[in-house]
Amino acid sequence: MTFRRNLIWYLFLAPAVIMLLMFMAYPLIQSLELAFYEWNGLRPREYVALENFEDLFDDRFFWGALRHTLIFAVFSTLGTVGIGLLLAMAISRRVRGAALYRFIFYLPVMLPMAVTAALWVRMYEQNFGMLNVMLRSVGLAHLEGTWISSRETALGSVIAVAVWQFSGFPMIILLAGIENIPEDLHEAASLDGISEVQRIWYLTLPLIRPVLISIGVLQFIFSLKVFDLVWVMTLGGPAESTSVLGTFLYKEAFRKQEYGYASAVAVVMFAVIFTVTYVYQRLMRVESVEF
Amino acid sequence: MHLKHSAIHPLLKRIPGATVTITLVVWAIVQVYPILFMFLTSVKTDKQILNAPFGLPDPLRFENYAIVWQGDRVAQPFSAFFINSFIITFGSLVILLFVAGLAGYSLARGRFPGNAATQQGFLLTLAVPVHVLIIPMYFFMGDLGLRNSHFGMMLVYATLGLPFTIILMRAYFLSFPRELEESALLDGCSRFGAFIRVVAPVSRGAIASMAIINISWIWSELLFALVLLDQQGVRTLPLAVAGYRPASMTSESVLGQQFAIMSLTALPLFVFYFLFQQQIRKGMTAGALR
Repeated sequence: MTFRRNLIWYLFLAPAVIMLLMFMAYPLIQSLELAFYEWNGLRPREYVALENFEDLFDDRFFWGALRHTLIFAVFSTLGTVGIGLLLAMAISRRVRGAALYRFIFYLPVMLPMAVTAALWVRMYEQNFGMLNVMLRSVGLAHLEGTWISSRETALGSVIAVAVWQFSGFPMIILLAGIENIPEDLHEAASLDGISEVQRIWYLTLPLIRPVLISIGVLQFIFSLKVFDLVWVMTLGGPAESTSVLGTFLYKEAFRKQEYGYASAVAVVMFAVIFTVTYVYQRLMRVESVEF
Repeated sequence: MHLKHSAIHPLLKRIPGATVTITLVVWAIVQVYPILFMFLTSVKTDKQILNAPFGLPDPLRFENYAIVWQGDRVAQPFSAFFINSFIITFGSLVILLFVAGLAGYSLARGRFPGNAATQQGFLLTLAVPVHVLIIPMYFFMGDLGLRNSHFGMMLVYATLGLPFTIILMRAYFLSFPRELEESALLDGCSRFGAFIRVVAPVSRGAIASMAIINISWIWSELLFALVLLDQQGVRTLPLAVAGYRPASMTSESVLGQQFAIMSLTALPLFVFYFLFQQQIRKGMTAGALR
């Protein structure tokens, strides 16, 4: 009887559940399964047990991609959250034009990542790219770089673009955190005659620490999934020096038709990202939104 | 802690104010200039771009836009990409908002066995990185005949947006006054009728917020588009941007057009940001859990 009474609620839920089962759960399971097969998409697949994972373990390009992904994630997180925090603290001092700064700093976040990447490809171009031309014209020609076209600087240059695009995002969230600090705490602090630096160190930072950690983890998870930026800027090159897990997976699957091997990469990605996200969800309570 | 003993030189006290202003202005320039550069370059001729890269466009040339919009020898008309992106974004949003609205409402109102478990399930799907789905999806969508299909893309994007949209919709409906729907039910409306005729119209603000949170990522999505749209006629804007990739800037004679394509891809989102900046930034704080 309860089922019939509740039938309407199940029906309301059904489309969402069906879509998630079809386009999320089913491909996920398929991916986990495919990782134990060798398959080029045409011939029947062949069960190879753990061979794909053993090959991964010996594949220096896989380790390279994993290392680049972690470097990218760590430094783009430090960069975006660090700059975001600085900006949030600066704006929270009620500077003139605070609304304009807020608007400007969030603007790059709105750019489609493919556009950001394509734009910076032109900026980084060696001869006519804006960056080198600008350095030359202000007499800093010795700082001219090869940016994304040489192995040494490519990954750093891509990380810089990520920081350029996304620092506005932690800024907005940290600013909300700072503005939630009760006004009388600040007043009490200024009555005690402490300096700005001390106030930030002993008052602001401890109070926004939860927000800071939360946005840091979110940014880290987001960066682990990097694909667009690298794909459009460098395709993982030069000489695989910017190859990340996302682009490595894509190439193994859709360039080399090694679907089983690529699925093993997918499984590794899944294990890493799912664990980090799951732990994060357990630690933070998912908050509701205000309208 | 030597809070009491901090004697600060009067001159030092003025430094923070100045540093703050300088930091903000410098970073604002760093953030805005490349974007401005993109728009300015898109209205220059190639000659101008190479001779005076930082000069203002003189005269303003909109022919780059005309050329990419109508298509040239190299590329298919950009208008086609634009229309594809528009259809897919719009369709995804309609499906997503309808399905997530119903599900969120069900989870907020229904006291049925499995409610809490379903919510846990949705939370788990939030943690799945989309890259993991891409290979099976390529074959599965092919089998369903939904590869290179607008409708297929809509279903995929709607699904990817579902978990966090449902969670936010549920949170919203928890605070939705019951009286409204109850009077509709007394008037003989079915549950579904009450939802469509009473609950949804009253909730249009919340539904609009959900649309706002989802528009920008759907409009910008590259990975699934790259894999699932491999035929010319169905491709979306991010693919156009990624595909218009010169080997080297010097050998190209279509510089202005490249910038016109980038600008046109970014423009709708910028207009959208100008119009709804408050809601977008607020929504991002909430959507951050995605």
